[in-house]
Order: sequence, then structure tokens, then C-alpha cells
Amino acid sequence: MQPEFLETGIYLPELELWLDPRSNVATAWVSHAHSDHARGVHGTVFGTRETLAIYEIRWPSEGPRVLQAMEFGQPIEFRGARLTALPAGHILGAAQLRIEFQGETLIYTGDIKLRPPLAGQTTEVALCDRLIVESTFGLPVYHFLDREEARSRIVTFARETLADGAVPVFLGYALGRGQEIAHALCEAGIRTAIHGAIAKYIPEYERAGYRFDGWRPYESRSLEGTAQVVTPGMRTLFEASSKDCRIAYVSGWAALANARARSGASELIPYSDHADFEELIELVEGTGARRVDLVHGYTEPLAKILRDRGIDARAAHAAAAREVEDA
Amino acid sequence: MDRLSDLAERVASTNSRNRKIALVAGYLRSLPPDQAALAVQFLRTIPVEGAKLSVGGTLLRDAIVQASGWDLELVRLCAREVGDTGETAGHLMFGRTEGRALQLSEAASIYQRLAMARRTALKLAILVETFKRYRPLTLRYFVKVISGNLRIGLQDKMVREAVEAAGLSLPGLDARLFDPFEFMLAKPLEQAPEIANAQDWRVEDKYDGIRAQGHFRHGEARIFTRGMNDATASFPEIVSELAALPGDGVIDGEVLAWRDGRALSFQMLQQRIARKTVTAKMLAELPVRFIGYDLLWRDGESLTHHPLEERRKRLEQSWPLVSPQSRLASSGDIETLFSEARARGNEGLILKRAGSLYETGKRSGAWIKVKRPYGSLDVVVTAAEQGHGRRATVLSDYTFAVRDGDTFVNVGKAYSGLTDAEIRELTRIFRTLTTGRYGRVSLVKPEVVLEVAFDGVQKSPRHKSGYALRFPRILQWRKDKTVDGIDGIEQVRALYEASLAP
Repeated sequence: MQPEFLETGIYLPELELWLDPRSNVATAWVSHAHSDHARGVHGTVFGTRETLAIYEIRWPSEGPRVLQAMEFGQPIEFRGARLTALPAGHILGAAQLRIEFQGETLIYTGDIKLRPPLAGQTTEVALCDRLIVESTFGLPVYHFLDREEARSRIVTFARETLADGAVPVFLGYALGRGQEIAHALCEAGIRTAIHGAIAKYIPEYERAGYRFDGWRPYESRSLEGTAQVVTPGMRTLFEASSKDCRIAYVSGWAALANARARSGASELIPYSDHADFEELIELVEGTGARRVDLVHGYTEPLAKILRDRGIDARAAHAAAAREVEDA
Repeated sequence: MDRLSDLAERVASTNSRNRKIALVAGYLRSLPPDQAALAVQFLRTIPVEGAKLSVGGTLLRDAIVQASGWDLELVRLCAREVGDTGETAGHLMFGRTEGRALQLSEAASIYQRLAMARRTALKLAILVETFKRYRPLTLRYFVKVISGNLRIGLQDKMVREAVEAAGLSLPGLDARLFDPFEFMLAKPLEQAPEIANAQDWRVEDKYDGIRAQGHFRHGEARIFTRGMNDATASFPEIVSELAALPGDGVIDGEVLAWRDGRALSFQMLQQRIARKTVTAKMLAELPVRFIGYDLLWRDGESLTHHPLEERRKRLEQSWPLVSPQSRLASSGDIETLFSEARARGNEGLILKRAGSLYETGKRSGAWIKVKRPYGSLDVVVTAAEQGHGRRATVLSDYTFAVRDGDTFVNVGKAYSGLTDAEIRELTRIFRTLTTGRYGRVSLVKPEVVLEVAFDGVQKSPRHKSGYALRFPRILQWRKDKTVDGIDGIEQVRALYEASLAP
């Protein structure tokens, strides 16, 4: 298989299949429901059941569309290939796609992490010949917390802040991190308010078995005594508040101290829905792939590090250019 | 050192000044006195009392390369993303150290060995050995003490308050002969509170030279500038005069080019300091004098906590050339006194409140400066550079240009004057205007117009225009103006010519 790395996404010409396309195409695989991966209205969309459910909320159908739900680990036949969705741990429903075609196995990870998430399925590392993997945090300065360490940091920060009579505010993305933080707080029995942008996906998480007991909708007028789970864009509201609000930023970027200036948060909790540097190395080496293409983030430096470890790794853009020359 | 590093992380995680001080005080209280003294020293980023380590960014980076095994190119890239050498060292040594505990006294002896080591190779070996041995978070702060900024929002003054709150008395905490004090600075009149009681204020001329500190003890003397640089070699005539004084002391004052009993313009002084070595000819043609403003230390005792009048009296007893001081009769006199100071060739006035203390490192309301900006110009930004520390992720330093016919020529670079929000917005704009990148610097299409104020114009070989603005600061971002409306090189040239006139 010769994947092509194009502006509109990754394209597999042999199967006429697009991976996470950014504009409308006939047939698409959607790795997870974040809008930089799941966008547009396609003819046929493959994805896991959870991903497609959220995708429908975010991109309601405007015309005829076929949604092909896949179960983890259950292969389907498609144009002479075998497609299997494997858990990727990133957010609820996030999946890698394994494609077996003419004796070759290719895996596209989408966004992925190896550490078990606070909410979502734990990643399965599978063998392949060729790997397309993300490298958002592909520099050796990024080291993240395990699930349980993150849970304890989140809960401790909330409790200590509340004990001081101040308001703990958590900045987390609308889909994924927001629900993970809220779930950890609710499980710990902390009074929690959740902003609507995050709360709207809670039913999907509840369907998957995660409990959010006793949460209330976010209300700007009643902050006291309640942990707030809101989106990063809302930080200025809390900075301007007359209440003593202490802001925590739960993110991979929080691994670096300069995230304080970036996010406006004083407390940094380096927990991510992406793999950190060591996880990326472990993942790539675990697949046994001979050829690795890197997409997103620090593609060039990580490719060089992998090449130094004897793996034929390339930053996707450079790889695309080379293949045009070869052809 | 492990506990100090944990403490520093907690201090960084709170925005509240009081909580930062309480955290430090609590930590200091828990230590035996000798350990507390070391902890305070390290929190003030002094690795060794009274000695220089001579360990710079390049050496630290080389040590990270050797200890971590990552190549230099990657280490550089990481350092750029992180924006702090100590933090980079900690992250890159993650999982690659023995993780041993480091006592404060052990850290002190490593710093001591670094200070004693003459050869760079030996310093490097000591650093590499240290990096491989201790916990990554501890290494982060071990290095920050060397590079001189912990970046945890803990100023010297707060450490002092914590020491007080912990009930400790550490002799010599703010007394360091031959180690510069942080200068007390004046607030501009516009930002100062109303001068209600004129009789409470003393007035001096504001001289246009180089603010400096003269340290002396028994035949030895050194001079430090505002940037805490050692300028001893540049001003031998002042050094010998200081060294001849009895006892020991620290004088805060201004270095001025001096002829016929009066100060010359900064442009003249500029010619003197442009040269690395001072020739006999220059000593004769452009002599310098050191005019005393204040006395911070005398005969084994710090005077910073003594009132203005006492410091002034002892300054007059110690040093022959002292800035003349008078009493302010009414606030209406400021205008007249300002004009007189300008007529004497000086920059303006400094008002000092009676009874005030010397507040090191502070821009205090007890000192007020009266000066007018020399001028302002509308300029266009041609390059934007990534900042450091909390500004590491934004483009915060701007090189700017004026029009010269059909092209633009650079006349300076400014860092300050915009809000964080404006800097973030400009960063987004500059990213779309970028035409090329050289490391931290992005060349940008000349579209963003700024109004900059400055204190003078000087000749500069660095800029193609041949001129550089002195102390440029951004007054405002002129969103209303396009590049067609900016000033030209003619205005700059005219301002320079005017400054040469007697």
C-alpha cells in the first residue's frame, strides 16, 4: 500500500479510502470525533460506534450518508482488504485502523496514547509492517502522569482549594479531557459544575458505563464551594472574577512551565489524551513496523530519533515529496 | 536541595504573593540555621557567596548533551521549546539519572568545585557527573541557581520577608560588598501619587550618564552597572579614586563624561565606552567622573534601612562629588527647576521623599523622576523574536524600522510597553506575516506600525541606517496607521544632529 499524504488527509489509492479527511469525500475512516479528525459530510463513514454517535452530534447529516459502525477487534471486509478497529485510548471511541491488504499490514493510529485513560478504552499495540503514527508530543521533554497520579492530583487540587475557601477551576477540552476530569471529581464525591460544551457529551460517556453522580450545570453566579470544569477559552472569565479562583490546566502542554503563561493557570497537571515521548517510542517499537510515517507535531525530530534507533521513519510531508519523485 | 526544589514548584504554583512567602517561611523554619542560610542563598540564585562560577548557557548545553546522550541539535530545539536551561536539563535527564538525594551542603560543595575549576573541561566534567546522579526535578533547580533566575515569581524582597517571617536573622543577607545591590529606581511623575506636601521632598538633577555602583575596600574597588555587569576596567580613573578611600563602602551614582566642571552629553560618554581598552589619549580627552547619589554601605554596615538624610550626610562625608540637593518649596516649582536642570544640560529632575529608605530592586514611589521623552516616532516592525521565560511562547521583542526612500532601515529594538493580550494578538499577526526564520527570529512583512518613545539618538554600526534609538519603548500599537504613514530616516538624522548642538 502506498498512502498519500495530502492537504485534505491521508489517502489510500488502492482502496479509495480516506483516513481522517478534512473535506468532503466519498469514503472516510474517522479515527475519533475531535473536529480536526472528524469533519465534513462524507458519503460513507467508517468508525467505532461511540465515535459515530458523537460525530452525528457534531456534524448532523445534511444529505444521504451511510454510517458504518465497527466493533473493536471485529474485522470487516472492504474492497478486498480486511479492516479492524483497535482501541487507541485517546478519547471515548478513539480507534486505530488496521488494514490487511495483499499480504501487507498497515496501521493508522489516529491520535493515540498507551497509558490507560481515565475514561475510554485502553490501547492495544498490534504488529504491522507499516505504521502511520501521530507525533504531537514527539520531543523528549514531554513526560506525562499515569491515570492514577493524574486522578490524585486533580482531586487533591480541588479539595485543597475548596478547603481554602477558593474556587478550583479546571481547564479541559470540550470532548475527552473535560469528561475525564469531571468523572474523576464526581467519583471522589466533590461538588462539581460542568460547562454545557463539555456536559453535552456526558450521555455518550454514561452509555459507555462512566458515572457522573450529582453534577450540576455551570452557572457564573454560583461558583462558591464547587469545582468548575470548563473549556480553556473561558479562563479570562475566572481571571476577572471577584472570587478567589485558582486555575488548573490539565494537558500535555502542562509538562512545561511556560504553560502557566500560555494557559493562565497556576496549577499544571501534565496529563494528556496523547502519548508522551516514551509512549511514542514504546508504541512504534512494539508494532515492529519497518516503515513509519509521522503526522502532526514534532514529525522531523522524532523521525530522526527513530532513524537513529534503526527504524525507517519519515516525517509525512517529506515522505510524500520523495514518493512523487520515485514515481 | 530536593526539598528546596519541591518547595520551588509549590511556590511557582501559586499566584498569591502572601502564600509564596508563607511557603518559603514554613520551609526555612523547618531547617537547622546553617541549612536555612544555604537555602536562602540558593533561593536568591547565589551559588557561591563572593565568587563567580563562569558557567554559561553553552557549557550547560554541552553538559546536557554529554549527560543525556541526545545530540546538540535536539537539545537546542528542546531548549527553545522549553525556554529555560534548567528546566530543559531536568526534562532531558528524565529516566536517565541515578535519582540520588542531594543535600544542600552537597550542592554547595559542587558549586564550590565549579567556581574553583579553571579549565572549562573540568567544569563540564563536574556538571555531567552531577546531571547523571541526581533527581531530574532537583537538577532543574540546581541549574536555575547557576543561570540566575528561578522563574517561580519569587523576588529577592519576598525571600527577605520570608526570612523575617521565619524569625531568622541571617547576617549579611542584603550586604554583599563586591556583589552588586539591585538598584532602587524612580517612578515617572505621571505614575506617581500627587505630591501633596512639597516640604517632604528633596530635589536633585537627573544626569544623563550611566547609573553605576562603586564598591571599595582597603585599596580595592569595583564598578557595576544597572545590568549588574562589572565595568571596572572601563573607568580606571574612578576606580583609583574609590580605592584611595578609607574603610569600605558602596556608593550609588552616575558615571558622566566630564569637562570644565560640568557633565557632557551621553553621546560623548558613548564614545568612551564604545572601546574595549581605555587608552591614555582617551583618558585625557574624555575624562569621566562618578557623581554620588546615595550610600548603601559603610564600614561593615548596610545603610539601606537608614533614612535618606543619614545616608546623604554620610555620602557627603565619604565622596567629594555629590549631586547637589535642595528642598522643594512648592509643587509649582517643579516646572522651573526642570527647565533649570535642562539648561544645565541634564535630563531632568529626581525627587526623593524625606525619611525614605533605600528599597533595593524596587521602582518606588519614594523616588520620582521628572523627564520628558526626547521624542517619539511611528515605525514599522521588520522582525519579531521569541521572548524568554513566561514570554517564551510568544513573539515579544520587535526590531523596527523607519522609511528610507523606497526601503526600510532598522533603527532599534523594543521589548516593553504592550500588554500580554496585545503581544498574543501581535504574535498571531506576525505568524501570518513571516517571510523567513532564523532561529528565534522571524522576519516579517513590514505592516505593523508602532509608536515608540526614546531618550535619544546615537550612531550605530549595527544598523544599516547608521543610527539607533536609545531606550526605545512602545507607546502604543497604531492600528489606525499603515506603513505609508510612518516616519523617515530624515527625522532620525535631524534628531541626532540636534543632540550634538551644545
